[in-house]
Amino acid sequence: MIITPALRKKLTKWGFLLPCLLFMMLMAIFPLVWSLSLSFTKWLGTIMARPQWHGLKNFRDILFHDPRFWADFGFTIRFVAMAVILELSIGLALAHLLHEPFRGRGFFRVLFLIPMACPPIAVAFIWKMMVHPDVGVINSMITAVGLARVKWTTSTIVAPFTIVMVDVWEWTPFMFLALLAAYQALPEEIYQAAAVDGASKGQMFRRITLPLISPLILTISLIRIIDAFKLFELVFGITSAGPANSTEALSYYIYLTGIKWFDLGKGAAMSWIFLIILLSISLFLLSRFRRRE
Amino acid sequence: MLSGSSVLRRRSTGGWILLVVVLVVFSAWTIFPVFWALVTSFKFTGDAYDPTFIPWVQFKPTLQGWRFVLITAGERTFRSLRNSIVIAFFSSAAVLMLGSMAGYALARFIFRKWKNNDIAVWILSNRMVPPVAILIPYFLIMRTLRLLDNPLSIIIAHTILNLPLGVWLMIDFFKDLPKDLDDAALIDGCSYLGAFFRIALPLVAPGLVAVFVLSFIFSWNEFIFVLVLGFNKAITIPITIAGALTTKGLEFWKVATMSLIGVIPVVVLATLISRFLIRGLTMGAIKE
Repeated sequence: MIITPALRKKLTKWGFLLPCLLFMMLMAIFPLVWSLSLSFTKWLGTIMARPQWHGLKNFRDILFHDPRFWADFGFTIRFVAMAVILELSIGLALAHLLHEPFRGRGFFRVLFLIPMACPPIAVAFIWKMMVHPDVGVINSMITAVGLARVKWTTSTIVAPFTIVMVDVWEWTPFMFLALLAAYQALPEEIYQAAAVDGASKGQMFRRITLPLISPLILTISLIRIIDAFKLFELVFGITSAGPANSTEALSYYIYLTGIKWFDLGKGAAMSWIFLIILLSISLFLLSRFRRRE
Repeated sequence: MLSGSSVLRRRSTGGWILLVVVLVVFSAWTIFPVFWALVTSFKFTGDAYDPTFIPWVQFKPTLQGWRFVLITAGERTFRSLRNSIVIAFFSSAAVLMLGSMAGYALARFIFRKWKNNDIAVWILSNRMVPPVAILIPYFLIMRTLRLLDNPLSIIIAHTILNLPLGVWLMIDFFKDLPKDLDDAALIDGCSYLGAFFRIALPLVAPGLVAVFVLSFIFSWNEFIFVLVLGFNKAITIPITIAGALTTKGLEFWKVATMSLIGVIPVVVLATLISRFLIRGLTMGAIKE
């Protein structure tokens, strides 16, 4: 066989790409396909040696006869909505206030990187101690100024907000720093022209700044939404999904069903329902990444 | 800044005061949990529940927590530290190798049947898959391969989690290089492999470091796969942190010390590549 330059080029480019593609096919796509095939079976790993055909019954049971799944779905949606809206609005307000250069800014940039770089499980356990209803430092400080203790982790009403609060602590700096980068890229001349034309600060923000940074706001919000849906460590660490399952995220329920209770078929079916929800949001995000090119 | 000409940057004294107050409050809120964990790690059990912050003045500091974590329970701590380092190192090395090759292919060559961008977006779409969705098949695959509680299974899982990011960032880094450089090398008789290894790779060295460290941090922090795939031999730092509270009630000093062992290395790494952390977390959507 004669190796022409054109063939050599072709071999080279596929030689570079294929290892990555094959690895992903094998370890990312194959598990998903296996999980899909499992979702049509009944397989209680503890008592059954092999899966039995179960048709669409898993999906029917989850979607129509499992109030816990829907309660968890509701909690997850409320968590994602609250956390991302708070992170975005606080992050935007901070970026708007602090976008000009000042002394020591590099130091603060590094400081704000800490929450997002920390292991989420360490974040969860540090906060678990801080929000402990009896001996946590936050309640100690609250009672020291004469206010009543807050049942951070023991009230079904407060606990979901506690999870949101910790997520806001972890990810608001991310929104802030991302938006700060966007503010830095804003063209100065437009603002000078607007000032010459007598535009007010509010007008400048609404008519110039927001339109210019809104594509980025959409992108980082979608990234945060997708990542917030994966909520697991905070729930695992801070509340263990309690009290009374009020902070049980979908991923936690899937973990319990598939891994703890070893109901592999039902767990796989839940994973796929979860995956489809997330992928529909992701498709929208990906279409934005595609347009970037 | 001397220029009053900058419209965006003009500020009154009141504006500056507001800025300083906001900055101080937000910094305090951000750093408080880490600071509090640090203080607690030097406290006796009895003091750990008090809202006291200044050692020697408000409470008597002790090394009891650190001594317990590093010596008494040291075997488990160092086993998980070693696992964390080994797993993060090898999975990041794999991400770097597969990612830089695929990134180079997609940045430098034209794929006609499947467009370059379609391949890149398909790779990125894997980043959107929730880890919990592939947990059950991963458990079954690793059980079949007899790799449960073996660091190799976690290395594979972490490589898959971080590879999309690696490829996506490497495409960007290679695209930023002038193409003439490798073309000149090829004309001078360099092979494709030679152009890649001797010209392109050294020029994107900062990018390689960034991808490696980002992927190292994400692997170090990853919890759920280790929880499912490792029990005893292959546990990492996050699992040991989670185990610190279950044993005997509320030993805050122990949890705080263990958490800090997980936090300190990644904070140092994040500081080293601070320019790339946001870029990595936004999949390159933001270039600082």
